Amino acid sequence: MTKKNKKIAVVGAGHNALVCATYLAKAGFSVDVFESRSQVGGMIGKRKLGEEYSVPGAAHLLSHVDESVFKKLNLKKHGLEYSAQDLKTVSLNRDGNALIIDGDEVDGDDITMKEKKEFKELNKRMVKLAGFLESTYGKKPPRLGSDDRGDMFSLASLGLNARMMGADSMSDLLKFIAVNIYDVLNEFTDHNHLKGTLAFDAILGNHMGPRTNNSVITYLHQLTGGANGKNGSHSMVSDGTGSFTKSLEEAAKKAGVNIHLNASVKSISFTDDLEITGLTLKNGDAFDADIIVSGIDPRSTFNCLVGPKKLEAGVVHKVNNVRMRGNAAKLHLALSSKPKFKGISEDQLGQRIVYSPSMEYLERTFDFNKYGQISDDLPMEITIPSIHDKTLAPKGHHVLSAIVNYVPYHLKEGWENSKSRVLDQCINQLDGLAPGLKGLVVQSELLTPADIEEEYGITGGQWHHGELTFDQFLMLRPVPKMAQYSSPISSLYMCGAGSHPGGGIMGTAGKNAAMEIMKRES
Amino acid sequence: MLQQNHYLKSVYETPFHERTSELNILNDWTRWKDYTVPNSYFRVDLEYFAARNSTAVFDYTPMIKHRIKGKDALEYVNRFFTRDMTKIGLHRVGYAVWCDEQGQVIDDGTVFHMRENEYWLLSAERQLENLAVSAIGFDVEIDELTDDVAALGVQGPTSASILKAMGFQEIEMLKPFDIKHYSYHGEEITISRTGFTGDLGYEVLMSNSVALSFYNEMFAKGEIYNIKPAGLEALDLLRIEAGLLQPGVDFMIAEEAIRPGATRSPYELGLSWLVDLSKPVFNGKAALVEEKKRGSKYTFVKLNINGNKPASGSYLYNQANKKIGTVTSAMFSPSAKANIAYASLHEPWKKGKDKIIAEIYYQKDLEWNRVMEEATIVTKPFFDPDRKRATPAELY
Ligand SMILES: Cc1cc2nc3c(=O)[nH]c(=O)nc-3n(C[C@H](O)[C@H](O)[C@H](O)COP(=O)(O)OP(=O)(O)OC[C@H]3O[C@@H](n4cnc5c(N)ncnc54)[C@H](O)[C@@H]3O)c2cc1C
Repeated sequence: MTKKNKKIAVVGAGHNALVCATYLAKAGFSVDVFESRSQVGGMIGKRKLGEEYSVPGAAHLLSHVDESVFKKLNLKKHGLEYSAQDLKTVSLNRDGNALIIDGDEVDGDDITMKEKKEFKELNKRMVKLAGFLESTYGKKPPRLGSDDRGDMFSLASLGLNARMMGADSMSDLLKFIAVNIYDVLNEFTDHNHLKGTLAFDAILGNHMGPRTNNSVITYLHQLTGGANGKNGSHSMVSDGTGSFTKSLEEAAKKAGVNIHLNASVKSISFTDDLEITGLTLKNGDAFDADIIVSGIDPRSTFNCLVGPKKLEAGVVHKVNNVRMRGNAAKLHLALSSKPKFKGISEDQLGQRIVYSPSMEYLERTFDFNKYGQISDDLPMEITIPSIHDKTLAPKGHHVLSAIVNYVPYHLKEGWENSKSRVLDQCINQLDGLAPGLKGLVVQSELLTPADIEEEYGITGGQWHHGELTFDQFLMLRPVPKMAQYSSPISSLYMCGAGSHPGGGIMGTAGKNAAMEIMKRES
Repeated sequence: MLQQNHYLKSVYETPFHERTSELNILNDWTRWKDYTVPNSYFRVDLEYFAARNSTAVFDYTPMIKHRIKGKDALEYVNRFFTRDMTKIGLHRVGYAVWCDEQGQVIDDGTVFHMRENEYWLLSAERQLENLAVSAIGFDVEIDELTDDVAALGVQGPTSASILKAMGFQEIEMLKPFDIKHYSYHGEEITISRTGFTGDLGYEVLMSNSVALSFYNEMFAKGEIYNIKPAGLEALDLLRIEAGLLQPGVDFMIAEEAIRPGATRSPYELGLSWLVDLSKPVFNGKAALVEEKKRGSKYTFVKLNINGNKPASGSYLYNQANKKIGTVTSAMFSPSAKANIAYASLHEPWKKGKDKIIAEIYYQKDLEWNRVMEEATIVTKPFFDPDRKRATPAELY
């Protein structure tokens, strides 16, 4: 069979799936994408808030995109537009002392010259380590226990990349990679607010506190990629991220991908010899395919679409052990006018605003999360996209989009009766930071991790489709022996954030999967 | 159920202990899992011959007993074991092995299709964890009944007659591997025509409460049939003649192996008849499909060795004096009148081309001697009496 007449069905139209589908279509495969929702993009995409307002769905900032993907798909030409780039991070505390981070510069909140230098040094060393991490991202990870020459080569080049960083970085890598961000930051500086702000990047979307092991990897992950070649620099996309998803959709269609919306996949079918035959939708429609690529998380893929009974127990066990605890919620507010945050000037309102005053604060807040409870003072990443994009709200009005961390997926008392209480609590907390904000709220919603699971079909509402920890990383991602985007079923591949290199709006997993599929199926 | 004050003792006594301790005139005990059971009672050779000529009774209580029941029981066992479990009909027993993800044998055992949607697995090792891991997504309930259920092996040519004399109707009509449930003093008692001896024989599973009275009654009724208690030493000889493998002796239990390569796949244990690759899925299938394509590293054989010195633990060589394998179990078989052994062979041994020569050490008057004896591969069972299969079973 030539690839022209090999039919590929892709499950989900998240950004990774669309990237993968487009690469494959460009390579000559016939590709159909099936998406449950009525729009593409997955956890990134424009969302309606009431009749008159629009907000970014889950993801609201592009921080570590894979620029090679954007170029290859010509996303700019297909309509991708940034409404703001190179955002600064403005970190709040209760006293209204803001700290401003811009690349490797930091200012505000009584920061001393010495501390500024400490931050520069820290940043330099971390970016270097992130660079090493990133060098592993664009490649498929080697398989474990393989004697394949390609795998040996990838492993060797990983080692070589590590050596090439130089002796100091090599020792940094060995010293830092498996420890926690708490100890690392304490080694560099005493400025608590600065440390709290940086540690926030390590724990955002992850089930960990600053003292949890592995929190250095997640910090470095956040520093990989980045628009305009600037590590970890944050950008906002116009139309409430809509211009990004629209451009992906256009690029896919242009390449010949057929996108089926409102088409939820129920099961994947294959023969006793594990050859893919096609898939079946929830509405009963069946679709023949020779190759299936899943853009949803590994747990849902194998537990729901394949079914544990059809897999060997060892595989089921491993997949069910992938840790998938989501703990980032999304808060959307429509405001009748611009809010005023204590310590933030009006011209800084459009920046990335973080509330995470210290590492001790984060750790204590995480304690609640660990036991299925919620602190009444939650860490947040706040943006007001309407500052840069007037189309999101009626004139003079604004929308606020905040990721609220440490909101547990499993709330002890259950979500049913608690959601409005937690929503009110978040608004009250913001009102403390921006006095009077509460009175401006005309629309509001809170998407808990459970809501995110429901809405996007991702187990646990987990940011990375599987926590990003050392034991679920590289060749261990999503599970040992299943790395390299493949699965025990031949011609069933995985391309979502659950695969290497993980989550966030990057597109790298989708691209790597496409490369692997082209290699294996051509 | 845990026995009360169990922690005060290092081992449990089986429900038969009151009688077995009287019968164990050698006072020769050994540990079998959590229990103490007789290694030998009076004379190993006579215990062995009781199983071949009259009836020998073994206390199998320590055998680990798992119960799998629920709506998905068949589907579950079919995915757990390598063989086609749909072929083990209701009230039938099957020998089975199960594998890890690498296709290496974890353990072997007998599976009892006890009732509709209910299977029991009897094995040497506890398998609760493997069974539980395998249960994700299946509607089954899994528990272990080892301490709640007493078990006896009643093995030998007169065994049917004894059970018949005890009132178990139509016991002689059970075909090999059949199960029948009886009521005994108001308790259910399950008799299967199975055992480790390769002979006519039965296994009896009963609740602890009736165990002792069953034992006493059986020995009373069995006296004229020359019933004898027999220990584990005799059992080991019987099972070798019968062609049955012993986990931990003839192969490493995959989970306990320390060195890679120390484990064996079913193919490497001569158990390919227990592997059905046409099943859609079972644990270890992917690895076994791969092995089938690539070829196995080891070959398991039964050997008939010249001379009469048991080749226990022997190295095996080919005609070029290259090491080609090891003996895993060996004995001089009184019933087959042959010097028999099981062995695991490997490269450079070539089937049909290479000789197999055993290096045997034996002691005579406290002196160690070494002989090199040629061996031939045996494909038929070492000992295979017609009475093993005859239905109705012979009655005396
Ligand atoms: C609250 C929150 C905020 C975040 N904010 C940011 C951020 O600001 N910046 C950032 O970089 N990252 C952010 N992330 C992470 C980022 O959104 C994800 O890592 C990323 O979206 C993963 O992309 P994906 O393409 O792999 O899968 P997804 O975006 O999860 O897409 C999966 C798609 O599959 C569809 N689907 C599921 N099941 C089925 C089925 N059975 N049949 C058909 N379709 C199905 C879903 O509807 C969805 O469209 C955030 C995550 C969360 C939870």
